[in-house]
Amino acid sequence: MLKTLKGALLAGSMLVVAGSAAFADDIVVGSAAGITGPIAELVAPIVAGRELATLHVNEQGGLLDGDTMVLSHADAQCDPTAGVDAGNKLVNVEQVVAIVGASCSGATNGMVQSVTIPAGVMSISDSATAPSISELEDNDLVFRVAASDAYQGVALAQLAINAGYTKLAMTYSNDDYNAGVATVFEQAFQDLGGEITGSQMHEPEKQSYRSELSTLSGNGAEGLALFAYYGSSGITIVRNSLENGLFGKFLAADGMFDVSVIEQIGAEALAGNIMITQAASDDENISYQAYAAAYGPAYEEQGYSPSAPYAAHGYDAAFLVALAIEKAGSTDRGAMSAALREVASGPGTVIRPGEWAKAKAAIAAGEDINYEGAVGNNDFDANGDVTGLFSVNRVTADGTYETELIR
Amino acid sequence: MDQLYGYFLYFLSLVTFGGIYAILCLGLNIQWGFTGLFNAGIAGFFAIGAYVSAILTAPESPRHLGGYDLPIVVGVVVAMLVCIPIAWAIGRICIRLRSDYLAIATLGIAEIIRLIFKNETWATNGARGVSFVPKPFESWDAPWDQIAMALLILLIVAVLYIALELARTSPWGRLMAAIRENEPAALAAGKNVERFRIEAFVIGAVVMALGGAMMAHYIKFIDPKMAEPLKASFLVFVMLIVGGSGNNKGAILGAMLLWFIWSFTETVAPMVIPDSFAHVVYPFHLFASWFVPEAWMATPIAPENITGLDSWDTKAPYLRVFLIGLALQIMLQKFSSGILPEKRLQSLADQHDAAVEAARSSR
Repeated sequence: MLKTLKGALLAGSMLVVAGSAAFADDIVVGSAAGITGPIAELVAPIVAGRELATLHVNEQGGLLDGDTMVLSHADAQCDPTAGVDAGNKLVNVEQVVAIVGASCSGATNGMVQSVTIPAGVMSISDSATAPSISELEDNDLVFRVAASDAYQGVALAQLAINAGYTKLAMTYSNDDYNAGVATVFEQAFQDLGGEITGSQMHEPEKQSYRSELSTLSGNGAEGLALFAYYGSSGITIVRNSLENGLFGKFLAADGMFDVSVIEQIGAEALAGNIMITQAASDDENISYQAYAAAYGPAYEEQGYSPSAPYAAHGYDAAFLVALAIEKAGSTDRGAMSAALREVASGPGTVIRPGEWAKAKAAIAAGEDINYEGAVGNNDFDANGDVTGLFSVNRVTADGTYETELIR
Repeated sequence: MDQLYGYFLYFLSLVTFGGIYAILCLGLNIQWGFTGLFNAGIAGFFAIGAYVSAILTAPESPRHLGGYDLPIVVGVVVAMLVCIPIAWAIGRICIRLRSDYLAIATLGIAEIIRLIFKNETWATNGARGVSFVPKPFESWDAPWDQIAMALLILLIVAVLYIALELARTSPWGRLMAAIRENEPAALAAGKNVERFRIEAFVIGAVVMALGGAMMAHYIKFIDPKMAEPLKASFLVFVMLIVGGSGNNKGAILGAMLLWFIWSFTETVAPMVIPDSFAHVVYPFHLFASWFVPEAWMATPIAPENITGLDSWDTKAPYLRVFLIGLALQIMLQKFSSGILPEKRLQSLADQHDAAVEAARSSR
């Protein structure tokens, strides 16, 4: 009881004195994410990735003079209004040095345009993929470790051509993410000599997609390119297609990558018939292995897998912010983006996930460093984008995904 | 000092958001508060205002219609003008419906409007939204840009408030109250009830479009998610009801208060909760875990072992939804007609009657 009272008093005094979770030797980094909202389930493992990077930093000497890195979370709800509100809180109330996030493209667009760019705060998103973010006049403040949709659409189109498809029908869920990948795919597939026999947008969460699918089938389409989230429409579309014999072969982007697709459709129907691209990490890459070896055990209890979509991106984004602070040697917001560019690309001592102590020593010794992250080399281009890596996932007869990196 | 300055800037953002919601609330107050029109389709007019103004003022982009690069004032005014015929047409069709039917119809229409913006990709960039919407005063140095923005919104709210107060106390306002309270009586008095109902509907819709346009300019971005019923319609309704429908001051107060609570709880909840709350919950949680099957609940975590992900930091956003619900319950139970209930014009009339009566009897 006494302890409780003490806790309450402590919390109360914190409220009065600082108004934020920060103490004198804490360095606060913002973490804007769609904690609640439509992709809450996807966001939890990503936030876990950010937390893991923070843990590694603090376990191995902390930032600068042994200061503790603290992530301050704000809920961007996957909504531009909430994104702006979250950004305002992080920038002004929490006084963060830089921000990791936000999760969704819409929330990120609002947050950076209305708050962080005018305030001169750097942000690195780990899962916003809209191409429009590349075009922002951002004073070099907006970065992302997630590849723009433009790249995944092209990767899938190339994959389709390589697999021998020449005529495809396509359907996409009408949301910012899937519509974006689909548009790029359509263009890229045609540029590579393929033909789109029909394209149909669909609204998610419908009971049945038979009418859309029967419109699309025929015309000599050899398969269906499907851009949807598995839960809200993807699985239903695959099921409707198979039940009615409309399509037997599928190509999909990463919204479809989940074991529940196999569980609900059955491996026998999907084996050899579906290819799903995913923003990937190179499993054989030592950087990824270092990250996965730490992530797996750390979040075993929560049941998060290191290969969860964008979890590795979350790790890299937070780790990069830490490196930038260390490199800049201060918590000066204005110094972050230049420092980030220095630590993200070569030349220099290669730093991999988990190697905070090594990075800290190298920076202290005045050496250049080059972070080779869990998701790739994280070399930012002029727009603050990365090209990213993609994998193709095929279903095997025993009901698992067989993942192969696209090179 | 930096921290204080930060609080000040955050306060400005609270006022700006609260003010924009106050504009929406004042618009709804004309419809629901004055005239008793149950318009559940605020989001539709919000979206029209936001999109029209955004497209007219945004720079050219291959993703959507535009490149008109007009001044913000022109965008906002045109957005409001565009709303007039649309609201009039909707009014013509729907206005005769009784309250709950009108609610269903307007809710549907708002969804239609939202889906049009979502699907007409050539004009609106569909689900991906319109970026690069200009913001008033954005070229000014901080913090003046944010101060000016907040003051602009407050000025709009003030002007609207004065105008609507004048309208409310004018014969027009009394007629609206008459239609709301006793439509047959208003009809019997020879008033064209339908025309006046449409008038209130259109004026309210135009004010909502103004609110939508200001939101798009403030966020510098608009996408169909922002016009979802939960955020753009029901939240505004709740704000008005908490503040006091029929009362313009109440509409402003409700909007400000609810937005403050909404935004603030996220910052405050994790600060108040971590240590104290975990210590309170843990014994109960542990106790329950002896009886409840493991699969049904999370494993209790001792407060001293709470780190990172298990902290209340990431759980607070969920808790605040609960806190808002609780606050609403208390407010609505305690102040059933809102914090600032409507001052009935009728009672003024009664006072007048009483005064006349008194004068007569003293003669």
